[in-house]
Amino acid sequence: MGFFSKLFKGPEIDMEKSNANAKKMRTLFNHVVKDGDNYRLIFGYTEDVSRFNYGFVHGSKTKIGNLIVGWNEASQTIVVVPTVPDLSGCGDPTYYRRSEILKAYRNKYPTDAFIIYPDKKGYIGINAYDWLEDEKLYVYVSQDDELAAFTDFFMNRFATK
Amino acid sequence: MSLGEIGAILLFLVVVFIFGHLWFRFIETILRRMKKLFTRHQKPPAWHTLPPDEEDRKNV
Repeated sequence: MGFFSKLFKGPEIDMEKSNANAKKMRTLFNHVVKDGDNYRLIFGYTEDVSRFNYGFVHGSKTKIGNLIVGWNEASQTIVVVPTVPDLSGCGDPTYYRRSEILKAYRNKYPTDAFIIYPDKKGYIGINAYDWLEDEKLYVYVSQDDELAAFTDFFMNRFATK
Repeated sequence: MSLGEIGAILLFLVVVFIFGHLWFRFIETILRRMKKLFTRHQKPPAWHTLPPDEEDRKNV
């Protein structure tokens, strides 16, 4: 294959690395969630954008939080587990059961994030893509089929409007 | 405009850029320390490290 055809083809996914990370995601998820195998998994992330003004220096800061997102079709439950890009560990899970949440919908602007309001006090916006190249910021995993399945579940069986 | 003047303007912009960065880091450090001071009694969030793989365990 020539140099230019490679260039136009764009970046290629390292499936070995992606599969290893998918396995790690499953191990971490099952470690903290009871009956974890009953959930399908995707990688998602949250974005927290804040503006700052330090006198003559001002701008905005973006904090990215990596998430392992599990969903169970039967119980209509989404479980969110915070993690880090290298998947060396994870935090405690948060459960969003459809029967208990206030509302859930898919955002359109500025990003097409999956929004869940557990109550009136706060919300979580889950961004998910089939693959993100930047390993320093995001978990390196290819997830076309899983993302399509999650989108279908969220839009048709979890969203409230 | 002479080359010297262009160089002086570029140097001035570089100095402003570096000072801006230093100022940003300085304020961020102060804010971080203040935040730490007020939240030092709070329990850190739970963290679970990745358990060793079954195959890794067998190899040990």
